[in-house]
Amino acid sequence: MGTEKRYWTGMEELHGTKEFMDSSAKEFKTELPVEEFVAGAAQADLSSGRRDFLKFLGFSVGAATLAACETPVVRAIPYVIKPEQVTPGMPTYYASTFHDGFDYGSILVKTREGRPIYIKGNKDHGHGSLNARINASVLSLYDSTRLTGPRKGSESTTWASADEAIKKALIDANAASAEVVLLTEPIASPSTLNVIAELKANYPSANISHVPYAPVSFEAMSQAYGTANGTPYLDFKSAKVVVCVAADFMNDFPLSAQYTTAYGSARKPEGKWMSKHFQFESIMSLAGSNADVRRAIKPSEEGLVLASIYNHITGQGSSNATSNITKGAAEALKAVPGESLVICGNNDIHCQNIAVAINEALGNIGNTIQKDKTVQLAVGDGTAFASLVSKMNSGAVDVLMMHGVNPAYDSPMAEEFKTGLGKVTNSFSFSSHADETASLCAYIMPSNHALESWNDHHVVSGHYALSQPCIQPLYDTRQYQGTLLAMSAKGGTYYDFIKSTWAGMAQGDATAFWNNALHNGSVDMGLQAPVVAAPVTVKSATQEVTAAAPTNTSGSVSTSIAAVEKTASSASGIEVVLYTKQGIGTGAQATNPWLQELPDPITKVCWDNYITMSPAQAKEMGFTLYMAQETPASVATVEVNGKKVTLPVVPVPGQKAGTVGIALGYGRGANGEHIGNAAFQTKEYGGYDLDDSGNKKPIGANAYALVAMVNGMASYTLSGATVTGTGEEYAIASTQTHHTIMDRESVLKETVLGTFKNGEQNDYNRPHTLKMHEHHEVVDKPIKEVDLWDPHPVEGIGHWWGLSIDLSSCLGCGACITACHSENNVPVVGKDEVRRSRDMHWLRIDRYFTSDMTKEKGEAEGIGTIDMYSKMEIPSENPSVVHMPMMCQHCNHAPCETVCPVAATTHSSEGLNQMTYNRCIGTRYCANNCPYKVRRFNWFNYKAYAKFSEVNPSQDMMGRMVLNPDVTVRSRGVMEKCSMCVQRIQAGKLDSKIKGIPVADGSIETACSEACPNNCITFGDINDTGSKVHGLRNDKRAYLALEEVGTQPSINYMVKVRNREETLA
Amino acid sequence: MFKEASIREPLILGNKSYGDITADVVGPIENKAPKGWYIAITISALIALWGIGCILYLIGTGIGTWGLNKTVGWAWDITNFVWWVGIGHAGTLISAVLLLFRQRWRMAINRSAEAMTIFAVIMAAMFPGIHMGRLWLGYFVFPLPNQFGSLWVNFNSPLLWDVFAISTYFSVSLVFWYIGLIPDFATIRDRIKTPVAKKVYGILSFGWSGKAKNWTRFEEVSLVLAGIATPLVFSVHSIVSMDFATSVIPGWHTTIFPPYFVSGAVFSGFAMVQTLMLIMRKTMRLENYVTIKHVEYMNIVIIVTGSIVGVAYITELFMSWYSGVEYESYAFINRFSGPYLWAYWAMMTCNVISPQLFWVKKWRRSLGFTFVMSIIVNIGMWFERFVIIVTSLHRDYVPSSWSMFHPTFVDIGVFIGTIGIFFTLFLLFARFFPVLALNELKSILKVSGEEHKNKH
Repeated sequence: MGTEKRYWTGMEELHGTKEFMDSSAKEFKTELPVEEFVAGAAQADLSSGRRDFLKFLGFSVGAATLAACETPVVRAIPYVIKPEQVTPGMPTYYASTFHDGFDYGSILVKTREGRPIYIKGNKDHGHGSLNARINASVLSLYDSTRLTGPRKGSESTTWASADEAIKKALIDANAASAEVVLLTEPIASPSTLNVIAELKANYPSANISHVPYAPVSFEAMSQAYGTANGTPYLDFKSAKVVVCVAADFMNDFPLSAQYTTAYGSARKPEGKWMSKHFQFESIMSLAGSNADVRRAIKPSEEGLVLASIYNHITGQGSSNATSNITKGAAEALKAVPGESLVICGNNDIHCQNIAVAINEALGNIGNTIQKDKTVQLAVGDGTAFASLVSKMNSGAVDVLMMHGVNPAYDSPMAEEFKTGLGKVTNSFSFSSHADETASLCAYIMPSNHALESWNDHHVVSGHYALSQPCIQPLYDTRQYQGTLLAMSAKGGTYYDFIKSTWAGMAQGDATAFWNNALHNGSVDMGLQAPVVAAPVTVKSATQEVTAAAPTNTSGSVSTSIAAVEKTASSASGIEVVLYTKQGIGTGAQATNPWLQELPDPITKVCWDNYITMSPAQAKEMGFTLYMAQETPASVATVEVNGKKVTLPVVPVPGQKAGTVGIALGYGRGANGEHIGNAAFQTKEYGGYDLDDSGNKKPIGANAYALVAMVNGMASYTLSGATVTGTGEEYAIASTQTHHTIMDRESVLKETVLGTFKNGEQNDYNRPHTLKMHEHHEVVDKPIKEVDLWDPHPVEGIGHWWGLSIDLSSCLGCGACITACHSENNVPVVGKDEVRRSRDMHWLRIDRYFTSDMTKEKGEAEGIGTIDMYSKMEIPSENPSVVHMPMMCQHCNHAPCETVCPVAATTHSSEGLNQMTYNRCIGTRYCANNCPYKVRRFNWFNYKAYAKFSEVNPSQDMMGRMVLNPDVTVRSRGVMEKCSMCVQRIQAGKLDSKIKGIPVADGSIETACSEACPNNCITFGDINDTGSKVHGLRNDKRAYLALEEVGTQPSINYMVKVRNREETLA
Repeated sequence: MFKEASIREPLILGNKSYGDITADVVGPIENKAPKGWYIAITISALIALWGIGCILYLIGTGIGTWGLNKTVGWAWDITNFVWWVGIGHAGTLISAVLLLFRQRWRMAINRSAEAMTIFAVIMAAMFPGIHMGRLWLGYFVFPLPNQFGSLWVNFNSPLLWDVFAISTYFSVSLVFWYIGLIPDFATIRDRIKTPVAKKVYGILSFGWSGKAKNWTRFEEVSLVLAGIATPLVFSVHSIVSMDFATSVIPGWHTTIFPPYFVSGAVFSGFAMVQTLMLIMRKTMRLENYVTIKHVEYMNIVIIVTGSIVGVAYITELFMSWYSGVEYESYAFINRFSGPYLWAYWAMMTCNVISPQLFWVKKWRRSLGFTFVMSIIVNIGMWFERFVIIVTSLHRDYVPSSWSMFHPTFVDIGVFIGTIGIFFTLFLLFARFFPVLALNELKSILKVSGEEHKNKH
């Protein structure tokens, strides 16, 4: 019996056959077809074994893995060697200057990891007040429709060949003594003017001239005051009475942003005096909405108004139809000789002459109006341009170079210009886009964006400013001054050229002077500064005649009065006012989605151009008076001087009956020019709306076509128009569809200066109390003492961040809105969503018109409640206007916080109401329960959904670069709202912590408080008893909006004070 | 044996034996479905599919496909939610409250009414889900242990109370309904011929043997569940009403809401029961069980609850004036005279005026009139919720934000879709489940049967 069991796999093993013994020595009993796998049958005779197979396998797997690992993001390269002055995560600011010929401001550009992402005013140096257009210009840098390189016609070309072409053209012109014209925006850059002089010097035989061109020009004002190339500097700070005749100096005016600040500083109710503002105008302008006394007049009466003021003041001339409405203003002016301003915004030489005469009679010239200190903005040379056009048409212009202008779009002579352009032998455009004009030029040599460029400016006399690049040019572009320099004998870079210009200005050490100027962005040289720029423009003969006309003698005044009287009597039909809007301006930035989505300060309409009309007239003509989501506007055609514009009609209270207003700057890209994504109408589910010929429909219509040329100057008011309804309807998108405050005193409080100065706090700011029963007596208890909840421990403990908003200072310009957009990555949602009341603005400005009906009046007249409320919904014919910024009130008993089921919105220990985006499930209960309606819901995935591909810049690879890396981009389905710029608070606290000091008042600013040109919004720590915001919160004018709801906001408002006598009706 | 007064109308008409009752109820399940049933389920399933399509589009694209906006953050979604929850209430009231009060007429209608409750609550529960911006994170509303540290739900939020209220209500209603079904399933199991159906009904009936012990337990459990369900009738809609009552929005911030919502819920629920039963008694030939008397009883409940609702409306109006609060009084003035006055007056007409017509005996015993009225009441109750939600939100404190709500096709599609889903479920119920509580009915045959009464 065997002791060991033996197992065998088969008979072969049991018997130990040879085949078995052989095969058992091998690992694999049968041969594996490795060769077939690896090399195929053809190479079967090659001997490659299992190891080779594994090698091949390993290699191919490795190669495949490596290939798969190559992620598409190839440009995200970390800083291996830390660049000087760039710390990842820390912003770097560059002082620079914004200038586009119309707007001007000293800016600080915030860059993160080399990308400019935000523009704020440089308030310490220079003219640091900004408007929405300047704020938003940072987005235009990342416009993916900018040209990426030079072009010949519609074909790409190289810089070398383009340079060769321009050089040859100039040499040929020189040889033929031909006409060479440089057509640009009004240039106030000493170095650029010197570059032009260099160019001239290099081609002495050529007839080189420079024509400054401004689509919206204040030439008449410039001529009337005799201030060459500019308008006189207006000192709003010391003007106790401001009388504006059709002058919207807060928006549609040279240096508007800076004037707004100065005006505001003279409008503080607490000050020794508060300036009084009279406005005579046809359309409700931003300045008009802030006036203490506003009178609606027809454009043809503007001259009459000025004449009657002149008559009241000097006793000369005769009274006219407007004498009774101007009496108050004239008396106010007479009371403060030398301390007032009479401003006329009309580009009519006669009106301006009378305004000059009034100011002279009042002794303002030399006091509030400084003729030796000029503002070189928005003054083009209409006559020179007109003669250029005629020369072009006669084929006399050999070389035309253009920068910063778009006459094929925004000139009243656009058609003639276009024909003329076809006859110019060599046309070169330095435009960044193949826009209406550039696309007609032989060559486009795209210039850099302003944030990629060097430049200097001398806009306000004695104030020299620098622009510096904050990023390498994103595309293959070149600054046009560089191109011109290359054409001159001088050569070299424009940067060196500027430095050499500035070296000529320097007093003392040139390097230190330069470095200081560059650091501050500007330098004040005083009015005695050396003139460093070559004299400009070649004036045409007619121009000189007009300019030489006597301006200030009484004789010329009577001529002018006669002229304006003739204008008034010859006016007929409906009169038209052409104006520019806060967002779009002259139209240069019409493709900027932030500006398109900025609601107009008066109508609150976004993304559109329209005809404004008085409600009474609109009713009479049978147009829709009320516009909302499903109630579109009526469409009408305005026909004047044989030219037609068809647009929707928006009734605006305060507009003079018999007039219509149309904004300029719209209707761009009408022939399908590639000017940008956001300037065209889009369809409800995305994609462009195309017209019958397959072109993209532009937003609005181009009203520049209506501009008339009078005395060689553009006239923006016209008479003899007819308005006819087309019977069509057009949807209008507006962020506010209800226009009156409904007499809700706890939302909005306002008073008049007399009551404020002489009355008790109870007269103008009565705190809310609750009547309570206590010990058998009725007592009035402050709201704060009656509370169901335990208080949040913020008062007196640590920080308590808050804002104070002065309704007296808020002028409604909207600079804060674009600043908030830019700082907080607020999504742009486009017209259709705004129409559906789904705008995403974290900060909005509520605009209320007064109504003829009030509760008091209703009671006194015994009007039924229902009737009273329905009458309250209708604004007065000439209403007073209030602008009320509204954002999250950061309530300490926030209704939103208690209702969120998942605690996604909670209270911070520093008094902030915070949103936790990644916790939010989107029930929208918080938004419903917010009494201020400031919460915004992400209805769609704005950064990817097809509906928004044309309007939302974040859908574009370039547009995404402007996003603030400190702020999360919110996903679909979450709630968002003002965070009081919590990222800035955190950064500010951290900064103080590193320095080991307490957070200093003013060291942290929110985007809105920083952007406000009028310091209407003050941010700070309410617990810091020394802080400004603490003082303001405890001021007699301070109140909490909807205090009686018991929300205990961290944001307080200050009662609006108007400088007028009558109590509010 | 219990003797019922002979002046009371009999609850079971005709000459019925126990066997007849079984045959009448189980018959439709055993036989082939009539053509009408196929037509009806095809239509309702198509509507349901359209609704599901709209829901998928909504979830795929965003809440923006609805017509909501920055001012009106809830509209049809929560209107539909409250409407469906309200409809559900009648079932629980009939089966639980009427059981406790020993109202025998409930036996003919409680099964269907409870089924209606279950389906209505399913429809209702869908809305808080799909109305969320991020449905996929909806589990955040449950107080689940998590890895986020001390992250917890917000117990202050009425929306969270809703989560608990609705889920409790749904589970109790489901259990209650199912327990009641067990003996009837057993009856079907014993009669049905096809082996598959026999097996299925066998499983569903949990081994019911009909022993006296089974019956005692059945009775006890029913009573206990009725005891649990009764407070839910009042709590669920009270809590739903607190979504509004605890807010600060004028028109929502009202202490009267809980009783007002509960009576409104019963009101609409009974109307829906009427709608369903009147169709069912006709198509399934149940005229002998669901009698004119049943209809009349339910109409009386409609008069009572409708009157309570009417009083609540008037009280609200009075309080808005009496409070002296500007915003409160404007909210109500705006309701009846503002841009949504048509909705307000539709609500008033349907809910306050129309039920009062039932004071006329002839009308409340008329089937055609009752059917029309039941639909009017449900329209009215839908408008009530719409009025409360939308007219309060669209014009609240700050006039600059005042807005209107305009529904989109997705709003409409989702609402109509839920009606489609509801009817699909109900038709399936009518085909495969015993629509009357047949074993319970048998218990009153000798008490309230017509033939039996006539004998004595």
